[in-house]
Amino acid sequence: MKTSRILLYLIVLAILFTLPFYTGVYVLNVMDIILIYMALALSWDMLLRSGQISFGMAGFFGVGGYAAVLLFLNTGVHPLLSIALGGLAAGLLAWLIGSAVLQLRGMYFAIVTLALAEIFRVIVRNLPDLTGGPEGTVLSQAIFAGNSTYTYWLVLTASAISVAVSEVFRHTRVHFALTSIRNDEIVAKSSGIDVFKYLVFLFAVTSAIQGITGGAYAHIYGFVSPEGSFSVDFTLLPIAMALLGGMHSTWGPVVGAVVLGVVSEFLKLQIPYGHLMVYGIIIVVAILFFPQGIMGALGQRWTKTGTG
Amino acid sequence: MAILKTDRLSRHFGGLAALSGVSIEFRHKEILGIIGPNGAGKTTFINVIAGIYLPTEGKIFFENQDVSELPAHKRCHLGIGRTFQLVRPLPGLSLVENVMVGALFGKGLGKKEARSKAEDLCLFLGLTDLSRDITRMTALEIKKMEIAHALATQPKLLFLDEVMAGLNGEETMEMIDLVRKIHRQGITIGIVEHVMRVIRELTDRVVVLDWGEVIAEGPYGDVSNDPKVISAYLGEEA
Repeated sequence: MKTSRILLYLIVLAILFTLPFYTGVYVLNVMDIILIYMALALSWDMLLRSGQISFGMAGFFGVGGYAAVLLFLNTGVHPLLSIALGGLAAGLLAWLIGSAVLQLRGMYFAIVTLALAEIFRVIVRNLPDLTGGPEGTVLSQAIFAGNSTYTYWLVLTASAISVAVSEVFRHTRVHFALTSIRNDEIVAKSSGIDVFKYLVFLFAVTSAIQGITGGAYAHIYGFVSPEGSFSVDFTLLPIAMALLGGMHSTWGPVVGAVVLGVVSEFLKLQIPYGHLMVYGIIIVVAILFFPQGIMGALGQRWTKTGTG
Repeated sequence: MAILKTDRLSRHFGGLAALSGVSIEFRHKEILGIIGPNGAGKTTFINVIAGIYLPTEGKIFFENQDVSELPAHKRCHLGIGRTFQLVRPLPGLSLVENVMVGALFGKGLGKKEARSKAEDLCLFLGLTDLSRDITRMTALEIKKMEIAHALATQPKLLFLDEVMAGLNGEETMEMIDLVRKIHRQGITIGIVEHVMRVIRELTDRVVVLDWGEVIAEGPYGDVSNDPKVISAYLGEEA
């Protein structure tokens, strides 16, 4: 069963990998956005599996973007390496901050993450010599000189990494630890789970994914700016996708990202002004009718029990 | 020989002394009953021993090691296990997977070993339907799962916090037999219980708590006739 699952992933990955050979630039550009949001939605969901809600994705996304661009400009490392280092920087920062703030839980932790994103933005804005201040920093050239195939492969890699991490978490002892922590921390501790260590680890890993995604985004669009890189979109849209697709799973956020990504692209073409309103209505209606998300509703229909 | 010893253990919540100056010894492989009226501090005592709360004052020695400041998960690794009054099965996990959690993290087993260990424990406790829907289990089954979960961490000392609550007479008898079965494996047991028949049948010794203090200690027969204990349960005569 396990090998068949891995085989399935490889086939899907192969299809996605070869996409540039039979589609055009437009499809690839839409895919880029969907895959970037997919990685963010997954990273949000992974932390949620421990019961902690983060509103700080935009913060670590922006930190990753800035770290990647500034490292690239100031040290001359390869852009791909700078993206990886951007992810590392975001992960390390989350690890340090998490060690301090993960004594907080629930709404208190959520508010702190929201504040963190804002604090990062304000700091970046007020260091003009390093970051370019309010105007941000523009790269002379986007990564791969803007080649849409390579760019697509880059975001596909970032997204595949987050799917892989999520699946590893779903099918190893991490899954048991997170489910246990989410359900009852006192029971988790009494079962021998180092709750604090798991939460810090999880916060660092998910923030690193956000950092990598932010680094890729910055290099693809060739700029970082306080308003653009720390945009609240990078927090709210992934949450909407994970909620719509279904929480506490890998496929929920993936399906949610694809559905909302395609819908938002379609609406953008049909209703250039106000498409976000329709987008909002779709989310509200979907959550009213499928409180468990699309995958949750499908799962109930198939009455599948146990782990999936 | 004592497996666990508390030395003038106190735990305060604000101005309330939930435990004050409690010194109790758990002898190796005995079954010790902890009884007392509601609010006497029985569950607080277990929580302080298990590391959910740190003591305000006093020390805890487990196998002669001072564990007073150790976090809960480390005390579990050392061999202090417990069940909970209010049992909440982990949603999305099967019966066996619920039990596996204890084996995975209490003893650090791999997934395969943990699963077979969990299956063995379920069968040992009479949970034969391993694919049982955990949302539809009876009170007895839930209690058994909870005990299996605690046993999976391979405790040397196991606290059972009101495992008989909510069980009918027949089920209580079954549970008493189970506790004996667990005890025969060489596990020291601390049992908190309101059902006195259970305490009478199972325990070697009893400690009576009232308002966070030990008011009596000894075999059940002696303790149950102690005027202090009777007044603690029934109230002072006016």
